[in-house]
Amino acid sequence: MRVLVSCANGSGTSLMMKKSVEKALKELGFNITNIHHCAISEGKSTAGQYDVVFCPMNFLNMFDDAKKKGITVVGVRNVMSAKEISERVQETELAAKFK
Amino acid sequence: MTQVLDFLMGIWDYFAANILTQPAFLIGFIVLLGYVLLKKPLYESIAGFLKATVGYLILTVGSGGLVNNFRPILVGLKERFNLDAMVIDPYFGQNAVTAGIEETFGRTFSDTMILLLIAFVMNILLVRFKKYTKLRAVFTTGNVQIQQAATAFWILLFCFPNLGQIQILLIMGLILGCYWAVGSNLTVDITQDLTEGAGFAIAHQQMFGVYIFARLAEKMKKDKNNRKLEDVQLPGFLSIFNENMVATSILMLFFFGIILVVLGPAYLIEAGFMVEGQSFLFYILQTALYFAVYLAILQLGVRTFVSELTESFQGISNTLLPGAVPGIDVAATFGFGSPNAVTIGFLFGALGQFITIGLLILFKSPVIVIAGFIPLFFDNAVIAVYANNRGGFKAACIFPFISGVIQVLGSALIAAFIGLSQYGGYIGMFDWATVWPVMTLLMKYLGYFGVALVVIALLAIPQLQYRANPEGYFLIAEDYDEYVKKMTAKKV
Repeated sequence: MRVLVSCANGSGTSLMMKKSVEKALKELGFNITNIHHCAISEGKSTAGQYDVVFCPMNFLNMFDDAKKKGITVVGVRNVMSAKEISERVQETELAAKFK
Repeated sequence: MTQVLDFLMGIWDYFAANILTQPAFLIGFIVLLGYVLLKKPLYESIAGFLKATVGYLILTVGSGGLVNNFRPILVGLKERFNLDAMVIDPYFGQNAVTAGIEETFGRTFSDTMILLLIAFVMNILLVRFKKYTKLRAVFTTGNVQIQQAATAFWILLFCFPNLGQIQILLIMGLILGCYWAVGSNLTVDITQDLTEGAGFAIAHQQMFGVYIFARLAEKMKKDKNNRKLEDVQLPGFLSIFNENMVATSILMLFFFGIILVVLGPAYLIEAGFMVEGQSFLFYILQTALYFAVYLAILQLGVRTFVSELTESFQGISNTLLPGAVPGIDVAATFGFGSPNAVTIGFLFGALGQFITIGLLILFKSPVIVIAGFIPLFFDNAVIAVYANNRGGFKAACIFPFISGVIQVLGSALIAAFIGLSQYGGYIGMFDWATVWPVMTLLMKYLGYFGVALVVIALLAIPQLQYRANPEGYFLIAEDYDEYVKKMTAKKV
């Protein structure tokens, strides 16, 4: 599974989020082939190359186009919480698609 | 005996010449050291070393490009109007330090990296003894640490130009380490309240600002017809400002466009920046957009080595400091509260900044300030998030506006004072336009006594916080749910 983590500037928050996402997905038994973190600008343009995009809640609507293309977009409130990410992933169809 | 000593000195000289004064390799080795301490496998440690070094080399490419791209504007304003133009933005600020530090003080940027290490160790030590210091948070935002270490290093060299290398690094490491620990610690309680116990604090550039505005916003709660931002619908086009690259391009086009038009094509051709017959419109467009290009390259470099640096730093602090809260990037708070707060904060901050920049020009300030994206967006957005959470709609509009005014005024004064403005940039974030100028003045005019005063004042802040609520002070960071129970029980 190819994973993109995107935040406003692509340095601080998405890095923390990337670590939480890795932890959560590993625990759920997903196989991550590629994980990348970046700024929203870059993320909007490159989302098509990934299977799932994680971003902070307030930027969810920035990825509406990616959603239309069938990419799973997951909004996260607490970027430090692997538990929350894990719950949100379970609400999606990711497990059916990639396991 | 002398041969042995000579041999050791030889090793040291080699190390100093090739690593200590070469920031790219220094960062690489710092990361390598961190990974070895964390007992990571050898292949991962080597990968970390390479990524960190390459990341820094990418940064130098972006940095060189920015300096070159800036030349027509800096030189033009200086020659024609005897003005300094500076962008208030942490990356431009870091660039200005890199560009000016050899020329002004005869130091290299590597010293900045060593300072960063000392300050980080200082921060860890302060939290390690939290029983006495009452400090609960470790500052882990790597990109911000580098920007701040650069500016802080400059400030200290400016205050104590004759100090030796070791002394200066130790004094500054102490002050910067205290600022990191105390600032992050200030935001623990308000952040736990905002995020309902997400378990992090802010480690960024407006920690004092956020705290002050959050407290002021509480005073506005009493207003009966005060709405929160959650109830407001904003127009859709504003979402383009969420994109850093787009926002930077627009800002740069606006400011540099005006400056280039004022300089005029005749001057630019005469000075050799433009070619005869080139379209002036497209010259402006290209110059402005190249800022966004080099900034993107620079940030890519920073991102590359910072992810390694943070990885090793966090590993180290987590193993040493169980129970402490990590201080992280402010953007982590944007997912809480109202998504509108981020946009509103940006807009009102911009309004404050632009009006103030206009006034500076009207009153013939020798320094022209150019608004940068990061202070506009991150400082003011985060102030709006907290203000809205604690005081509602009005607070979320008024406080970012005030912050915008202060950012420009404070930065213009301090950057001109310490001589950074002539290199085209200053960090420009809220704390660096308020708290740091005050500290600079104390150190410049009171010398060592000023240093002592700054450190004592900083370390007194957590003690006061602790006294306000001794029961809940550590609990709120360790177990938020328990804290809420305890506090509601107390109220009953």
